[in-house]
Amino acid sequence: MRNTRSLALMAMLTAVSLIVFVIEAQIPPIVPIPGVKLGIANMITLTAMLILGRREAGVILLLRIVMGSFFAGGVSGLMFSIAGGTLAYLIMCLTLKLFPEKMLWVVSIFGAIAHNAGQLAVAIAITKTSGLIVYVPVLAASAIVTGAFTGLGAMYVSSALRRLDKQY
Amino acid sequence: MNDKRVKKWIIIFAVVFAVCIGAFMILRHLGMQGTVAVIRVDGEIYEKINLDTVTVAYDMEIRTEFGYNKLHIEHGGISVAEADCRDQICIRQGTVTEAGVPIVCLPHRLTIEIVGGDLDA
Repeated sequence: MRNTRSLALMAMLTAVSLIVFVIEAQIPPIVPIPGVKLGIANMITLTAMLILGRREAGVILLLRIVMGSFFAGGVSGLMFSIAGGTLAYLIMCLTLKLFPEKMLWVVSIFGAIAHNAGQLAVAIAITKTSGLIVYVPVLAASAIVTGAFTGLGAMYVSSALRRLDKQY
Repeated sequence: MNDKRVKKWIIIFAVVFAVCIGAFMILRHLGMQGTVAVIRVDGEIYEKINLDTVTVAYDMEIRTEFGYNKLHIEHGGISVAEADCRDQICIRQGTVTEAGVPIVCLPHRLTIEIVGGDLDA
């Protein structure tokens, strides 16, 4: 029973994160700075970490990244997603146990910073333009805002899912 | 106890945020000298233009396997006028006139950076 439940939940969360990722890709950027985006899909990765576990969250993330490149982003988007996603995942795995659940937003901010760092590294490697390093401060600042936002979102989503779980 | 920890992290992130925004503003308006625009596509140098020697503004089209961009080159400045990428960030970045923050069109792997010195720099 436990396995069927978590499998169904994983499938659902993968679908949700993919939808969110594709929709977010359609929204025009708010500020003209490459790499600044909300990263709402990370809300799902974090939620999965809380209610399923870190390994399951990793599987969902990997599936979302690969399928996400089919629907939005393409091959060059895939490289950015893998670099940013893996780095964020690793950092969040490491920091998750250091903070209570009420402070998930801190974990999320660390993840967002790692994500942007990974993406910037890929951007510099692809374009061979070392001058892109000047984007470090804006990308860090934007990660603090977006990370806090997605982290708080994940806290609400996971507590809502847990409430549902108790009802049935 | 726990509230203190929350407060501590809010303050840490608020300070880092403020410092980062400040640093970027300074970087942007530092006015670092530079006259040569280096245009790169997929990491390779596509063109170098000395913006000081440009007297009549002109457009340059770049068509590569990654996409299409039209650059507008004028005396002392360069910008992206048209692009068929989805986000249009490169156009909204406006005209760059000095070394500092480069223009980037990531989907097309295009960067435009102003560097100092002569064409060999």
